[in-house]
Amino acid sequence: MQGDLYQLLKDQGYVLGIAGQAGVGQTLTMATTILAFKYRDGVLVAGDRRATAGNMVMYDRTDKVLEIDRYSVMAIAGVPATAYEMARILEHSFKYYRRTQLQELSFEGKLRALSKLLKENVPAALAGTGAVVPIFAGYDPEQETAKIYFYDILGAEFEGVEYAVSGSGSPTIRGILHYLNTWGEQPLGAMPEEQATIQALRLLTSAAEFDSATGGVNREVGLYPVVKLITSNGVTTMTDPHLSSLFESSVSKGR
Amino acid sequence: MYEEPYRWVEAVGNRRQYLDGQFVQGSPVVGVTCDQGILLMTMSKGTPKLYEIYDRLAFGGMGHPADLERLRFTLLEMAHVEGFNRSASDVTGGRLVKYGMAPVVKQAFEEVLKAPFIVKILLAELSQKSGKDGFLTINYDGVFEEKSQYAVLAATPSVEQRMMEYLRQQSSRSLKEAVDVAIRTWAVGDQAQRQTYETKGNHDDAKGNSDQSVMDSQTLFGHVRQCMTEKALECALLDRHMAGTSKYRTLGSREFETLLPEDLREALT
Repeated sequence: MQGDLYQLLKDQGYVLGIAGQAGVGQTLTMATTILAFKYRDGVLVAGDRRATAGNMVMYDRTDKVLEIDRYSVMAIAGVPATAYEMARILEHSFKYYRRTQLQELSFEGKLRALSKLLKENVPAALAGTGAVVPIFAGYDPEQETAKIYFYDILGAEFEGVEYAVSGSGSPTIRGILHYLNTWGEQPLGAMPEEQATIQALRLLTSAAEFDSATGGVNREVGLYPVVKLITSNGVTTMTDPHLSSLFESSVSKGR
Repeated sequence: MYEEPYRWVEAVGNRRQYLDGQFVQGSPVVGVTCDQGILLMTMSKGTPKLYEIYDRLAFGGMGHPADLERLRFTLLEMAHVEGFNRSASDVTGGRLVKYGMAPVVKQAFEEVLKAPFIVKILLAELSQKSGKDGFLTINYDGVFEEKSQYAVLAATPSVEQRMMEYLRQQSSRSLKEAVDVAIRTWAVGDQAQRQTYETKGNHDDAKGNSDQSVMDSQTLFGHVRQCMTEKALECALLDRHMAGTSKYRTLGSREFETLLPEDLREALT
């Protein structure tokens, strides 16, 4: 197939996931709460920063919201080793496609590429060594609209019409998102950028309250979730000072 | 019949003569560095001649479109596999050309029973730090050269020499100045190539014709204006200030309106 870097890598002997069995007594690193919802100008994708292995916090500065190209973002929940590898494959594949075929890969083509990776990873996912349940969100310049998709570990693709969540803290915030979108002052899709960002911070703080595998905000060391916005102008990452200011004014309530 | 050394040398000589004649009607390529990055410029009819290879690598070519495509794909494959298996910083123009492209082109040139690549390639590489940007050129026989500040591709070595001589006398700090200098240098090369083709047949050199070329800007722009009736101006920039990892972009008509020398703006419409 023309412009397919993944096929080229496979032809050279590359293998994505190996279906080994997790060793006895070994606990795999996992990660955690991610969310995406459409707001007035596009789509917001956010994730906490914690990676855990069983009861142990492995790392508190994990970036789970990964910019794949100018218009798309993949947020990862599950085994980071496999998820990061998938993100790397996608990033390189989309660039390779654009440079060889002299046009951008369509949004549907990007979704298909991720589905293929997840399907090839099924043996590792079922063996318990490589389960990944990502959210893929972005702006489709051809259709001039924001899009959100989420997946199960077997690679089934579902469209999140208004929002999508994944990871161990997601059951907590899924209900809140439904409530906000249905009975809130305004639906998620009508929220301006600042309001949407505040909601994302509140949602991740709620997830951290009830899920030990989700990291909350740590103001002492200036640690905030990763929040990315995707609009017709491309992907923007919210800076920590901006998140800090919104957190102080609208989330912490003097706590 | 090529087992005897003499026959082989003769065959390679014939092949060189044949290849020299293949570029005379091609469009020269100019690469110049400026504060903003590296500008590549040429004029093309339909098929573009400037391409993105990797985050900081751009490609300009002369020759047969099918051969250029084959080698462009070879470069793209090598760069992306290397970038995936190692890292983007390990993808360098020097490694791609010296250990990847040049041996392939040389082998094709010397295998006299097979078709050679009818190509001349210019690879521009934007460095992490300003002032260290560079160029690599590969000839149809696999000979490569490294250059800094500017580089050109043209039909013959003497035309290239004249373009380089012209570039040495210019300075280009801003992007606007770089566009101006690149266009004038292209005109110097294209004029010289045409003279070669018209006066001495299509596989001789422009040597001895230098006096016939007029190098003042107005004449050069006049030549470009004339070419613009049948060809399109093509400019690509490795833009140091571009957000993200990929630094390659093409200059569109909106940018041309502000960047082109006034003498050429009218010809755009």
